[in-house]
Amino acid sequence: MKLFKYTLLAGAMVIGATSAFAGEALDRVMSKGTLVISTDAEYPPQSSINADNELVGFDVDVGRAVAKQMGVEAEFVTPGWDVITSGHWAGRWDMSVGSMTPTKARAEVLDFPAVYYFTPAALVVHEKNTSIHKTSDASGKKVGVGVSTTYESYLNKKLVIDADNVPEFSFVVDDADIRTYDSDVLALDDLRLGDGVRLDAAFTALPTILEAQKNGYPIKVVGPEALFMEPLAIATAKGDAELNAKIKDAVTALRADGTLSKISEKWYGGDLTQ
Amino acid sequence: MNQMFMEIWERPSARRSLFFILVYLSLLSIDFSSLYEGTNFALGATTQIELTRGLMAAAIVFNFILITRLPKRIQLYVTWAELLILFLYFFYSFDLSYEYIWARLPHLLGFGLKNGFLMGAALTLFMCVVSIAASTVLALVAALARLSNNGIALGISTFYISFFRGTPLILQILLIYIGLPQIGIILNPIPAAIIALSLCYGAYMAEIFRAGIQAIPAGQGEAARALGLKDVQIMRLVILPQAIRLIIPPTGNQFIAMLKDSALVATLGAWELMYMARLHGRAEFKNMEMMITAALIYWMMSMSMEYFQAKVERKFGKGIDVSSV
Repeated sequence: MKLFKYTLLAGAMVIGATSAFAGEALDRVMSKGTLVISTDAEYPPQSSINADNELVGFDVDVGRAVAKQMGVEAEFVTPGWDVITSGHWAGRWDMSVGSMTPTKARAEVLDFPAVYYFTPAALVVHEKNTSIHKTSDASGKKVGVGVSTTYESYLNKKLVIDADNVPEFSFVVDDADIRTYDSDVLALDDLRLGDGVRLDAAFTALPTILEAQKNGYPIKVVGPEALFMEPLAIATAKGDAELNAKIKDAVTALRADGTLSKISEKWYGGDLTQ
Repeated sequence: MNQMFMEIWERPSARRSLFFILVYLSLLSIDFSSLYEGTNFALGATTQIELTRGLMAAAIVFNFILITRLPKRIQLYVTWAELLILFLYFFYSFDLSYEYIWARLPHLLGFGLKNGFLMGAALTLFMCVVSIAASTVLALVAALARLSNNGIALGISTFYISFFRGTPLILQILLIYIGLPQIGIILNPIPAAIIALSLCYGAYMAEIFRAGIQAIPAGQGEAARALGLKDVQIMRLVILPQAIRLIIPPTGNQFIAMLKDSALVATLGAWELMYMARLHGRAEFKNMEMMITAALIYWMMSMSMEYFQAKVERKFGKGIDVSSV
């Protein structure tokens, strides 16, 4: 047990220097000249890894643009979704650009300084499916979603989006047999096995579905395409209003000068940022 | 009834027929119809497929009989070779993109650096080697404390063993990574992972060490004391050298388990083998390719650990005929 204590002490001495207190996040970023950005690199085209082992994608480019706008370098880390959404970042990273929807529940542990784009949430079925023609046909069917995602909340009819200017939406799928997965892509993997083999449908962001189709997944989108429009925001640890204001200004400037639109065109083939 | 059954069982032909029936029945779960897609059947589709199934079952039984005729050593090699071929055929049937595997393999193996540190299989191996060293020390200390006459030492060690054996490793990893910052200790993913792995496996191995130490007859210690050895000397010179031989096989087991459990660290964003496989798999929707590649890399690493374990066993087993024990 002594060893345990010393290991912890040694660890604390090495890394404890970066310990964070409320209000100091912006100072830390500015004095170090580096904005540490967390991203979830398992979601192409938002964020993924290329053949040269480098992070690429829409979120990554937005993160870089925000850092550049603030006049600092961007550095990326890739903690798991659970770790990001549990808050208490302890100054390990300064902001998360991970296509996160600001919900009421999440706003209790994180701040959402700026929405940077919107994606339609869409229902998808296997190519050979003949029973689901419109989204409401998925009622009572086996639907796969990522765990703790807005898509799961939507099917549970508990989704409340906590942002301004969000288009109204209604819950059209009743009593779906919800199957949750570690990530949305795993649900698509199960759906591709065949119609009704494990899933009748999956429910996720339209860009994710389109990317899967591009990679040969035998799936098709069920209309109407947007069950709800999802605002996606940059997240920060609770408590540093100055950093939040700085990020908000940066995003506003990037939207105004067309940088965001340009990045969106590059990764999504359309402008999702307005 | 029983008598009759035993009499039938005595006959090799009866045993083989039974074996054939079992193999045939298990082959029923495989769909052979895809083999004949687009061909014309001379005998009708069902007959043709059942005939194939029967021939395959007969081939398996015949193969089995042939192998039993070989010397034991050769049996071993032939069986391994056949299972390996079956295994590779299984992977081959997935229609994988080998180009993709080849292009991303260096990243999975960890050639190159990530933010100036190791990644991929190299990082997995690094974390395990450090954790193996730390957990061995922890386990020895905890086992000795567990066997000591000191109530406080006993209390601390039993509490430690109970907690770290009794909670899931993933929770321990998250507690150390997310929980400790609440009291001001902020660890990076890799040190947090090493601490969690060491603590968890130290607790398991403490019990293995204790069992090994207790397996040495009490007379040995008493004899050593009669010769005037001190307690520390008795442990170091008499008990431990003998206990180690008993401790090695189950400890090797733990190290192999640790190698694979290190994959749980992916959740902290440490770029170890499992995480690299996930990232590169998701990048172009080639999960199967990367998962199989990672599986084979893990297997290779654990096989080399088995090899080292066998070597160490031989070293500490000197003077004892292991084959007869």
